[in-house]
Amino acid sequence: MRQPEIEAMDRGEMELLQLERLQSTLTRAYRQVKFYRRQFDRLGLNLDDIRSLNDLARLPCTTRGDLSENYPYGLFAVPLRDIVRILSSPGTTEKPLVVGYAVPDVKLWLELLARLYVAAGVTREDILQIILPPGLANWRRDLQAGAEYLGSSVIPPATLNFAKELMVMRDYKTSVLVTTPPLARHLLTVMTRMDLDPAALSLKSALLVASPLAAEARREIEAGFQVKCATAYGITEVMGPGLAFSCGADGGLHFSEDHFYPEIIDPETGNPVPPGAPGELVITTLSTVAFPLVRFRSGDRTSLLQEPCACGRTLARLGEIAGRTDPIFSVGGIKVHPDQVGALIREALGGHPPKFSHRVVSEEGLEILDIELTVEEGFFSDEIKALECLCRQARRHLADHLGINARITLKELGLE
Amino acid sequence: MLKIRNLSAYYGSVRALSGVTMHIREGEIVTLIGANGAGKTTLLNAVCGLVRKDGDLEFSGRSLQGLAPEEIVGLGLSQVPEGRQLFAPMTVAENLELGAYRRYRKESKAAINADLERVFQLFPRLQDRLAQQAGTMSGGEQQMLAIGRALMARPRLLLLDEPSLGLAPIVVEDILARLSQLRQEGVTILLVEQNARAALKVADRAYVLETGRIILSGPAADLLQDRQVTRAYLGRDYKEFTEGR
Repeated sequence: MRQPEIEAMDRGEMELLQLERLQSTLTRAYRQVKFYRRQFDRLGLNLDDIRSLNDLARLPCTTRGDLSENYPYGLFAVPLRDIVRILSSPGTTEKPLVVGYAVPDVKLWLELLARLYVAAGVTREDILQIILPPGLANWRRDLQAGAEYLGSSVIPPATLNFAKELMVMRDYKTSVLVTTPPLARHLLTVMTRMDLDPAALSLKSALLVASPLAAEARREIEAGFQVKCATAYGITEVMGPGLAFSCGADGGLHFSEDHFYPEIIDPETGNPVPPGAPGELVITTLSTVAFPLVRFRSGDRTSLLQEPCACGRTLARLGEIAGRTDPIFSVGGIKVHPDQVGALIREALGGHPPKFSHRVVSEEGLEILDIELTVEEGFFSDEIKALECLCRQARRHLADHLGINARITLKELGLE
Repeated sequence: MLKIRNLSAYYGSVRALSGVTMHIREGEIVTLIGANGAGKTTLLNAVCGLVRKDGDLEFSGRSLQGLAPEEIVGLGLSQVPEGRQLFAPMTVAENLELGAYRRYRKESKAAINADLERVFQLFPRLQDRLAQQAGTMSGGEQQMLAIGRALMARPRLLLLDEPSLGLAPIVVEDILARLSQLRQEGVTILLVEQNARAALKVADRAYVLETGRIILSGPAADLLQDRQVTRAYLGRDYKEFTEGR
């Protein structure tokens, strides 16, 4: 454990720590962010009404929509000159979601990443190779910085083809592979094609991030690379990857409860669910300075287990991430909202509102967004060449804006 | 060791503290910083039972609710008040003896003398001035005596209110250095300071109070770097918060 005094803290002490940090976070949010002050005032609530952790549920949730409405800096709690990092994530509208970090936030972020790596068994002796697509820019930066902070040797993400990546992995004696579950599976297919034996590699573990690790994929990756898998959970709006992490006992994802307060609510009613029951994860920051978030709806379906883990940590654990409560879906770890896809295709088609259906398909492990676009009378040329050109444009547009691979097939109206 | 939940405290009808939750672990030096009037002294007085309060206070598992100040001292909690509050016409020796007044009936003279020795080890200068009137000593020496007197009650938690007040920087440094030494001897310390920089240098953790509420907390070394703190309490470049937005 990176911080045993915290990670294995007595429950009563943890709850006191959470309460004092929660109250000071709410005081800062109330005093320094208009949006939160209005939320309190609208309900006639006072800071004094939050006397226990359970009282937090009296406050309304914050949504991605609220973040968009306060674009760009409306939710920052410190003046801009105290901000040292400004991060964007795509959100669900054309405006990105903007998150700010002050100096103490950057330090906290690095510590959380170190905690994640230590739990994954990574040490400063390790050689890490990060293979993540450019669309996962935040994860790439976070995981590289965290491993360097821990003191491991890092091979940062590059734009090599997969065969080259595997050559590097073998020759540089990479001991830890950091990638997404789909890319790990794709690497396995490339290995087979190259006739590369996992025994020729020095890999001991794989840290798989950005999308949930299904049991079957995990078995396949562990057997294929002959490694042990670790995983992590994070969302950009709430400081990224260090939010929750797996441990040696594989009993779920330990949530960094000392810095973030988790709740599980019923996504329909917004009410808290009984302990252990599934629902939507809602997160309140307890330590961040620049960007306090109160009851942020993650959109992820999961559950929260409070029982201590066999690994010795007492930090509560997230159960399986079992899908979303909103229409957002993941293509190779990149989160996409259907409205964004619609808007981008529409742009590529010169403003004509498209009719389309989509699904995520997997080819050799790689995830591709398969879009079936309905050809309508008169909205573009019926010349095959011109149609193909439009498809190419739309595909490039999706790659440019979202960083995802897409395939577009045309369907003529009335033909099934 | 000390757990405080939802503490509010009043001076007359004025509420000086609202909803303060904090904790101190055994062996820590924790500092409470904040501007004049933020509620720092009120917090210490509330812990010691000197002002009207609401909330849960727990010291080593015992509730402090309804206890008289002297009973709280009996549990192992002593305060070094702001402005020293020595008995000025009395000698150094008499002041120190008074610090142990609750112990005379129960404990042997030898035990009390051993603690006197401990105070002299910490502040050798006091031994040289045992017969001097407390009020005639320098400010720094008076502060040493005030701490020494509090130590004579054998506290497990020492509460210090503005020990740097009115002292030259070099003297402040010396006195605060002795706090680290005290901690090594097993005394836990809650230090209230307006001199935030000096306090943050000696403390492990800190809480920042602003108009009666805690607005920040964390490792002292981190808060020393925090720009909100440097602006507001370390006397650098303070302008309206909303400026530049």
